[in-house]
Amino acid sequence: MKTEKTNIKAALTIATAALLGGNTVAHAETTAAKEDNSWEFDSAFLFYSETDRVSASEVILNAKKSFEDDEILNLKLTVDALTGASANGAVAQPTVQTFTRPSGNGQYDIAPGDTPLDDTFHDTRVQLNAQWTQAVADNLTASGGVHISKEYDYLSLGVNGNIAMDFDRKNSTVSLGFSHFQDTFTPEGGIPKPFASMLIGDSSAPTWDDEFAKTRLGSDDDKTTTDLLLGFTQVINRRMIMQFNYSYSMVDGYLTDPFKILTIVDDNGIAQDYVYESRPDSRVKQSIYAQSLYHFDTNVLDVSYRYMWDDGEITSHTIDSRFTIPLSDSFSRESYIQPHFRFYQQSAADFYQPFILASEPLPVFASADYRIGEMTAFTIGLKYGLLVNNGHELSFRLEYYRQTPTDAGFDEPGVLKEVDLYPSVDAMIAQVSYSF
Amino acid sequence: MKNNRAVTLTQCQDGHSLNFQAMASACEVIIQSSDQQLAKELGNIIANEVWRIEDKYSRYDQNSVCSDINNSAGQTVSIDEETYLLLNFAEQCYQLSDGLFDITSGVLRKVWRFDGSNKLPTSTQVAKYLSYVGWRKVQFDQQQITFVKGMEIDFGGIGKEYAVDRAIILAKQLTDLPVLVNLGGDLAVTGARLNNAPWQVAIEHPDVDSTEANIERNIKKSSTESGIKSNSPADMIISLKSGALATSGDARRYLLNKGKRYSHVLNAKTGWPIENAPRSITVVAPACIQAGILATMALLQGDNAEQFLSEQEIKFWSRR
Repeated sequence: MKTEKTNIKAALTIATAALLGGNTVAHAETTAAKEDNSWEFDSAFLFYSETDRVSASEVILNAKKSFEDDEILNLKLTVDALTGASANGAVAQPTVQTFTRPSGNGQYDIAPGDTPLDDTFHDTRVQLNAQWTQAVADNLTASGGVHISKEYDYLSLGVNGNIAMDFDRKNSTVSLGFSHFQDTFTPEGGIPKPFASMLIGDSSAPTWDDEFAKTRLGSDDDKTTTDLLLGFTQVINRRMIMQFNYSYSMVDGYLTDPFKILTIVDDNGIAQDYVYESRPDSRVKQSIYAQSLYHFDTNVLDVSYRYMWDDGEITSHTIDSRFTIPLSDSFSRESYIQPHFRFYQQSAADFYQPFILASEPLPVFASADYRIGEMTAFTIGLKYGLLVNNGHELSFRLEYYRQTPTDAGFDEPGVLKEVDLYPSVDAMIAQVSYSF
Repeated sequence: MKNNRAVTLTQCQDGHSLNFQAMASACEVIIQSSDQQLAKELGNIIANEVWRIEDKYSRYDQNSVCSDINNSAGQTVSIDEETYLLLNFAEQCYQLSDGLFDITSGVLRKVWRFDGSNKLPTSTQVAKYLSYVGWRKVQFDQQQITFVKGMEIDFGGIGKEYAVDRAIILAKQLTDLPVLVNLGGDLAVTGARLNNAPWQVAIEHPDVDSTEANIERNIKKSSTESGIKSNSPADMIISLKSGALATSGDARRYLLNKGKRYSHVLNAKTGWPIENAPRSITVVAPACIQAGILATMALLQGDNAEQFLSEQEIKFWSRR
């Protein structure tokens, strides 16, 4: 049945060629359709899973409505749920280690040789963004938006504004953006004192709560983030578009991770104590970004490079590339595959150290968070998308991510030579999206 | 319509638009060029070709080849190569649709008048005319055609789409610049616009007007400057870089009897309207005549219209 029906298309092509003459029939190429004045929806479900660590699932619903005079209202709801275990910053040891949970309620043990992971990590985040875009003059588009994000222990409020100006017959666009976020962190168990020793012992003892409270500064803290973005987009020729961005970001306030600790080791690498980390209370981060989209006859290559640096000696290079290969037939039934490759390399923050030597004076700031250490990471993935009925798009994405922390040149005393101080993280990402 | 044969030229944002009337439709040719002479020449070539096809194949025109054939009931009529090729194409469509699409089914219009009323013909009336329907009763070859008295052929189902494809061929012979040809909503382009940009084509909801598709240079213009058309609630914008679009279906041509809606699409095998057909179907194909026939074949599937096109892996938009 199926094969017989599929022949209609082929038979018609032959019949049409007979009617109109051989080479006159081209192929059809159309792209997405939209209905005026109605809502367009994008939905996505994403699943992210790190081997033995965190897994996250995320649902995104984006609704967009265009009005008569090209005003666009965009609403986006993101809900994600995070569960699993996260590295607490302490180093592996040849013996069993016991840690107190961040809330102060209870303890957990880590087997010899294992990287200490706190398995109480779970959170649900609900995030809502609303954005309004409209033309304010010829060749001048303005956009403004609000953002609210709420987790059990975290609240983030933000506003943003952007203006974009087109010139040279819309071949060039300059844009200027601004955003400001106000975040409040109220971790369970409160904000730990920098370098206070983690209290370990009998958490049901009557004195426990008082003792634990001595390691705390308060119940909440906050930070503000201000970002400025300068962008330039240029149509190079009919096949190529380039974009350049510069961004400047200032963060002030509580930048420490209240769940991260450092191990204080003796000259044999044996853990003596665990202390809460401490980070500077401001950070200035800048980045430059260049992206190029190149249209071959049918394929599209998208390559970007970002260089980021901050005032704490972190620098990073990101190369991201996607290659879109359409798989359409001459009737324009489009589908495509899109291989993706991303490479990331980062140098360590100046206050990063994997552990603290007891024989040396305590530093002003220190964190053993692997995310600000030296590392390389790559992602490889493949996306398959197809247009289904009435112009709706369905796509599937599968990616593999590997993060490899590396030694930035720290001496490893004694037993630390025998454990893995820089364990790799592997993750799989799966996503299904549907636009309607 | 012959007294109304003129091509009007208007300058638009980055090119020229040429408008004329043909085949009971508003026709438009757009060329992305500031060369007014070229635009005029193109408009005349295309309009003349469309009028030529209309004159040759209109069943309303008593001097057309089509009328010649239909009036020579029972006799053999000589045909030229173009007519043979069109008959041959119609034959393919008849076979591919398993007899549902039949260019001899036009005589059924004598009993079916889709005027929005509730007047259904009787079974006897339908049966009487159905005996004059049947492509199998037509004999033709490269030189001649013969069928029995009382039968008629009608190129209405493919004529306009054929004219679009012919116009595109002529446009390509004249110029490499981007050209769009729109004959009352059935349209095709010679290729992408300059800078590989797509043409933005607005297809109107059939409740508003199924016979005219409205072409605009960009969505912005269509939503702000084209007056009445932009007020229709569900205009659909399709970006077209190459190939053709054709729409079958017409919301204004129907009968309503005892709450049941009879669309103007007739099953050539039974003589009765197809039930539960979508109001309209728009299909994308390399050539306009393919798009048109696929849209019509889909309508003829009734309930299964969308499934038919999905199984064929053809891109379409349907409205029910």
